[in-house]
This record gives sequence, C-alpha cells and structure tokens, in this order.
Amino acid sequence: MTSSVVAVWRHRDVLRLLVQRDLTVKYQSSVLGYLWSLIEPLAVAATYWFVFGLLFDTRVGPNGESYLLFLVSGLFAWIWVNSVLGEATTALTAQARLITTINMPREVFPIGRVIGKFFEYLAAMPVLIVIAILNHAKFGPYLLLLPLAVLLQMIFLIGTALLLAALNVMLRDTEKFIRLVQRVLFYALPIIYPLSLVTDPNNGVPTWVKDLYLLNPLVGIFELHHAAWVSSEGFPPMPLVISAVLGSLTMLLGGWLVFRRLEPAVLKEL
Amino acid sequence: MADAIIEANNLGVRFVKNRRRNLKVREFFIKRGKRRLRSDEFWALRNITFAINEGDAVGIIGKNGTGKSTLLRLIAGVLIPDEGTVAAHGRVAPLLELSAGFSNELTGRENVQLVAALHGMSRAELKEKLPEIIEFAEIDDFIDVPVRHYSTGMRVRLGFAVIAQLKHPILLVDEVLAVGDKDFRNKCYATIERMLGEGRTLVLVSHNESDLTRFCNRGIYINSGIMEVDSTIEEALAAYNGLVLA
Repeated sequence: MTSSVVAVWRHRDVLRLLVQRDLTVKYQSSVLGYLWSLIEPLAVAATYWFVFGLLFDTRVGPNGESYLLFLVSGLFAWIWVNSVLGEATTALTAQARLITTINMPREVFPIGRVIGKFFEYLAAMPVLIVIAILNHAKFGPYLLLLPLAVLLQMIFLIGTALLLAALNVMLRDTEKFIRLVQRVLFYALPIIYPLSLVTDPNNGVPTWVKDLYLLNPLVGIFELHHAAWVSSEGFPPMPLVISAVLGSLTMLLGGWLVFRRLEPAVLKEL
Repeated sequence: MADAIIEANNLGVRFVKNRRRNLKVREFFIKRGKRRLRSDEFWALRNITFAINEGDAVGIIGKNGTGKSTLLRLIAGVLIPDEGTVAAHGRVAPLLELSAGFSNELTGRENVQLVAALHGMSRAELKEKLPEIIEFAEIDDFIDVPVRHYSTGMRVRLGFAVIAQLKHPILLVDEVLAVGDKDFRNKCYATIERMLGEGRTLVLVSHNESDLTRFCNRGIYINSGIMEVDSTIEEALAAYNGLVLA
C-alpha cells in the first residue's frame, strides 16, 4: 500500500489538475455555475423537510425543533456519498485513452473523483452554516467531530471508489448495480430519520436486521455528522464509532487490494 | 558495455480473442502465475528478451498484429506483463497516440497544461515552454478554443508539440509518423533527429522502410509474437521482406 501512496503523492500535481478539470468541466457549461452547488442541496433539503418534517412530523431534539438541522447535516454528507457512488464506476472507463497511453498511478482517477466531490460538499457548506445559525446551534466542542466524520468518510469513499472503478471495467453491469445500491442505501442510513427509531427496543424490527444495519460503517460516520451540528444528539455510542473506523479502514484496504489485483486485466480491457 | 536503458526478460502477455472479459472470477483469487492457455486466448508476445542501450535507435518491424504496439505499451508501462519482466531505466515519452489525454471540453491551452503535467513537466517549466509549444503547433489563434473544434491535423500537431518539449531520455513512437501532412512530417523528422543527436534512445514502430533506415541502427523483427531477429536494421528488414542475407 505504501508504494501506492508514495506514487500518488508524487503525482499530486496530476491529481490536483484532474480535480480542477472535473470541476471546471462541470460548471463551465452551466449558466448558474457555482450557485448550483447551493441551490441543488437546498432544494432537496426543502423537499425532504416538507415531507418528513412537516407531513410525517419526525422529531429530533428535546422539543422536536432540530429536525431541519438534523436533516441537512446528514443530507449534505449523503450527497457526497451518492455522487461518489455514481461517478466512481466511470473513473477509469471515461479516461481509457489516457490510461492506455501515459503511464501514471491509475489510483489517481478514482481518488480524484472522491476529492472533487468533497469540494462540492465543501461548496455547499455555507448553506449548512446558515441553517445552523438560524437553528440557534451551539458551535461548541462537538463541532470537532466534523473533521473526524469527514476524514472517515474520505477513507471509506476512496476505498469504495477504487473498488468500483476497477470492478466496472471488468463487469460493466456494476454501474447498474450501484444505482440500486444508491437507492437502498439512502433509506438504510439515518438521514431522514433519527437512529433512535432503529435502535428503539420497542419497535417491531428483528434483532438481526438491527445488527446488520449497525454494521454499516457509514451509520457511524453519519451519526458523527449529526452530533457535530445538532447538540442535542450527543456523542454517538463508542461501538458505533469504532465500527465506523474499522469499517472505513477495511474498505480502503479491500478496495485497494481489488484495484491492484484487477489492474493487469483492467489495462488489457480498456 | 553500456548499461541497458530498456531491458526485457522473457516477456510475455496474453490476450483474449473473443468477447469474454480478460478475467474470470476464479483467476482473481489465484496469484499471477503459470497456467495453461484457454482455448480462446493467445500469446500476443512470448519469450521476448532484449537489451537496448542508451543512444540506440531501434526499429520494431513485423506484419500487422504481431505485437509491435503491444511491446511499446509494455515498455511504456501502460500494460502489465503476464510473464517475465520489462524495465525502462529512464523516463519514457510515448507517442502511441498523439491526441491522447485531450479532453474535448477543454481548450487547447488547458489540454496542454494537463498533458504536460501528466508527462511530469513542472508548472514552472510549462509556463516557460508554452509559447514554444503553441508556435511549434502553429495554432496560435485557436489555442483558447475547445479542442472539440480542432481538426485532426491540429490535434496531432499540438500533441506532438508537447512531446517535443519533454526531456525524457526514451522516446517511443508507434506508426504515428504516417499521419500528418508533409510539413508536419518534416517537423517530426527534424525533432527526432535533434533528440537522437542529444543521445536519447528511440524505439520506433513503422512499416516505412525509409523512415526505419533513416533513423535506426538496430532492428527487431517480430513474427506472431515471437522475436525472430534482433540485429542491425538491415538484417531485420531483410527477414521481414523474406530475403536471406548472404
């Protein structure tokens, strides 16, 4: 793994250029440009808040007043995850000509996608901050959980992106399969509902389903996101955080291994 | 004896003939190693061993489909061998496909920046060389237009202009000299001759005998993936032409 890290680091200029290029291409042809990074998440948040906050009356916080902030803190992190899942599959196939002509660490492509999407997440941050202020959020020590959440998420997503990029070259159906995963995953994470609804001992959910649910490292990561912004959430339970750390590292290692193993075949296939 | 700058040792790579992917799930778990060929596979190259010294200009010749481009790709590092090893002890400037790396959405200038960076040119160096590149490619007015609107000639000129600025000791050229009008070919020749004069190493794939004899001192003749001749360019060409040198 270290040789990969060193190789990617030595090519960090290339990485930066690839990320810059992706962002340029994305915003170049649209009239509103940067504003889209704000309008899109805002519109999505408003829709979910209307349905689940107002109509379904989901409650978060001692008086149920923090739902909007809770929703937005998870939603923006989700948008990062979702877009990586969507674009990682084509990270290598979209650059086939480049990869078959110039020698460079191929990891750069999936990693570039993850970082590019991270910047889009950052770009939407002002909206999150504004909503937090309007919600009288206490920007206290819990906010330190945010860098941790972002770090774990980055590790997890890089592993996922490496895995998906390589897999999709060999099995082109991966793209379609991931679309399914994206749909299901959104509801399998505490984004529109608080985790307490799942862990509640009195709900009708069988234990094995709960255990499976909690095994997902993203659950821990999202809880950290929530805790950073919504003070009433409190620090997430330690086992959850540990599983998030271990799960992310496993994903990174596993994704990287698959990438390396598939590399010779990927190069022949492209 | 000079140290070899490109070495290949028992190099081999196999491909799949039909539409099946190059990998089966079973193989994913088995370490890379010897296994029998399946019925739909073939060795694109096998038992290739050679040593190219610094300053050599080697021509790779053979019929279409014998593995010449594959060999260049292995040297460049964009293909990983299934058997044996290949090593280039110096940076490689590949001319495998001149418009490689050009993204249609970006302008010529942005593309040059990207490709130059991919080839390892530092930002400072590129800033300095950019006017030269634009001049060499003769597309001064169009440098800030998206590459989507370029003609093939313009793309090829721009791609070559970037390569011409690199200081890499090894140059790999794959039948690219056949493309382009007379002016461009003359520019290419002049650049290659300059590079050879600087002591760089050239590996050239071509069917054009005058190009080969003009630049190369050595020749490797490959037939159906097997290296049959590794000698002077005249001998290699003779083998290719089916003659026998006395």
